[in-house]
Amino acid sequence: MAAEHIIKSYDEELARLNKTIVEMGGLAESQLAAAIEAVAKRDSELAARVVEGDAAVDELQRELDNLAIRLLALRQPMARDLREIFAALKIGADLERICDYAANVAKRSIALAQTPPIQPVHALPRMGALALALVKDVIDAYVERNAEKALDVWRRDEELDEMYSSLFREFLTYMMEDPRNIGACTHLLFMAKNIERIGDHATNISEDLYYLVHGRALTEARPKGDKSSLEVVAPDRNGAR
Amino acid sequence: MQLYVRRRLSNYVVVGLSLAATAFGLLFLVFVLGTLLANGIGALSPTLFTLATPPPGSSGGLINAIYGSLAMTAIATLIGTPTGILAGTFLAEYAHNNRLGDIVRFINDVLLSAPSIIIGLFVYAILVVPMGHFSAWAGSVALAIIMVPVVVRTTEDMLNLVPSALREAAAALGAPKWKIIVTVTYRAAVQGMLTGVLLAVARISGETAPLLFTALNNQFWSTDLDRPMANLPVVIFQFAMSPYADWQRLAWAGALLITAAILVLNIGARLFASWSGLEK
Amino acid sequence: MSVSLASTTPPRSDTPAQPGESATVTPFPVKVQIRNVGFHYGKFEALKSVSLPLHDRRVTAFIGPSGCGKSTLLRILNRIYELYPNQTATGEVLVDGQNILSPGLDLNLVRAKIGMVFQKPTPFPMSIHDNIAFGIRLYERLPKSELDDRIESALRRAALWDEVKGKLRQSGLGLSGGQQQRLCIARAIAVQPEVLLLDEPASALDPISTQRIEELIAELKSDYCIAIVTHNMQQAARSSDYTAFMYLGELIEFDETERIFTHPREKRTEDYITGRFG
Repeated sequence: MAAEHIIKSYDEELARLNKTIVEMGGLAESQLAAAIEAVAKRDSELAARVVEGDAAVDELQRELDNLAIRLLALRQPMARDLREIFAALKIGADLERICDYAANVAKRSIALAQTPPIQPVHALPRMGALALALVKDVIDAYVERNAEKALDVWRRDEELDEMYSSLFREFLTYMMEDPRNIGACTHLLFMAKNIERIGDHATNISEDLYYLVHGRALTEARPKGDKSSLEVVAPDRNGAR
Repeated sequence: MQLYVRRRLSNYVVVGLSLAATAFGLLFLVFVLGTLLANGIGALSPTLFTLATPPPGSSGGLINAIYGSLAMTAIATLIGTPTGILAGTFLAEYAHNNRLGDIVRFINDVLLSAPSIIIGLFVYAILVVPMGHFSAWAGSVALAIIMVPVVVRTTEDMLNLVPSALREAAAALGAPKWKIIVTVTYRAAVQGMLTGVLLAVARISGETAPLLFTALNNQFWSTDLDRPMANLPVVIFQFAMSPYADWQRLAWAGALLITAAILVLNIGARLFASWSGLEK
Repeated sequence: MSVSLASTTPPRSDTPAQPGESATVTPFPVKVQIRNVGFHYGKFEALKSVSLPLHDRRVTAFIGPSGCGKSTLLRILNRIYELYPNQTATGEVLVDGQNILSPGLDLNLVRAKIGMVFQKPTPFPMSIHDNIAFGIRLYERLPKSELDDRIESALRRAALWDEVKGKLRQSGLGLSGGQQQRLCIARAIAVQPEVLLLDEPASALDPISTQRIEELIAELKSDYCIAIVTHNMQQAARSSDYTAFMYLGELIEFDETERIFTHPREKRTEDYITGRFG
């Protein structure tokens, strides 16, 4: 960060804002990692802890919002400081959403653990690991105020999108092969969708960070790897099998 | 606590000394005024304002001296005020930071503290001697010369007190400099400048030495400015020194009159100075 | 305006803005073009080759730490510095293409065209009516009714009429600080200038009076090219369209106010407006 403010308490408050974001980021990482582990190991106890842990993140976000509002009202921030606070508010909201998705993945893993294990479950942790890496990298980029690193995360989200598209097709195939898989696959599909959304929030954070550092919006068109919304399943093809 | 007690003690000592010094000064002032009143009140009578100064042994008044003093002070004021105000304006507005201004200011300060007898001698040399006789004109000129440096000084000081932002504001509207001075600066400083003039009048109305050399005295009623003219200070000087009781009484009465006049002028100047505060 | 500047230099009809300045395409043409303006107090160089445009019907704010030269620059724009010896300005200040720093111009006509309001309210020691009439009478001889109309419209324009209409004959010194400052603004606009220079116009006022002045600036900018020097960055942010940041006699950055206060290009600007100045 730039040189210190003349008013020291201003620096302290900004540092607290920063620290809260990093704390939330750390929680988001650990929640996501635990949720994926719960899916892979069919560990319902761990999953339950993740669901419970979500409240802590919500609390942190409220704290962050209060801190930011206070800074806006009392310090009348300008330029870089203004962008810091504005970015913190948006990043906080994104991190909170990431944790919500992680909690939802954990919640579904409890239901999934009651059904017999099916093959494509193993694809999910792979996708989760990539999402986790994106979250971790974007938090690191935030700590370093590294817009290049953020841009890298922003681009790598495409990979996650592609993974989701292929998983989507895989689950469809499973469901078509055996209707008994439909219950488990629907849960898996939602989990995959949640993880894909986590990637989108990581790119949002990248964009906020880019604005924070450069003072202008990231306008380059982001590569899109998720084609699942264009996927059509023809019923006749289904019947032909 | 020790320190506190010591500080309080030294405070009492200093306050006590200041009070004593003030009392000392006031005591003499009251003493002077008291003596004046004691000797002068008895001498006051209506004939002071109707009869001219008498020869020894007969009764008379001071009307010729009062008239002379008023006339010469008035003429000196008419000469001294515009001269002083213009010179003060020059120093404050046009020669604020230049060499000529510094020189004029220095000379004015010298003149301000010059003993009045020297002014008298000077006017005697340049006016009375060439004319061949004493005259009220010469007296007026001498008084004017004493008055000018006082007015110059107060005018300059008062004009300097006017905030430069006021001049800038007028200049920013496009007013030329002379217009700024006449319409804005003078208006802002008028109270102080007039107070200065009143104080200068008070100063010259009691001057004796320069008049001794210039207007001298005249025992008779005279309004001819080209001739010697009676005036209160010189009459007081002559009569008080005389062995005649009548004359001495008149001297006291004259002294009381001058003191009263100066007091009125001073009070007037004060009222005038605070008038601006009431105007709002 | 019944006064026009008589000049020795032929007026230039088009004034090119600085290269790379996007603002030239706005509907607010450049009214004042400041070109390579330098300034000396005796031997001290207070301004070093400052160049920037002031747009018509826009507010340009000058910010910067004390002694950065922002007030000095303002005082060049109506040549008020010439009241004092040993102060010299170089460069050009083109108002509608005409260099007002050229020695052939009638100084008082320049000042009539460019009004100025100072940090401390400076009502003249005369009635409210005469305060406003002072400037008008310098240039125009109007019949009484017309003069009164001009005075009323100036006071209305300065949002002071309703507060003083019953006491126009009373001394201007009897008004409150905020009212006095609005009186000074009314006095400045009564002579119908084209450019209005405000040198920290609200720094001696309480917050409510300050907001009145800011609202007044917003109103007045539909008619004038306004330049304001202020120590209060929020005030610059609130009331200006363009902001110039100056430091040690140099123009560090000039841009749209929004840009300056969200993401200035220069680190020194950023440090100053975020309160990190060492």
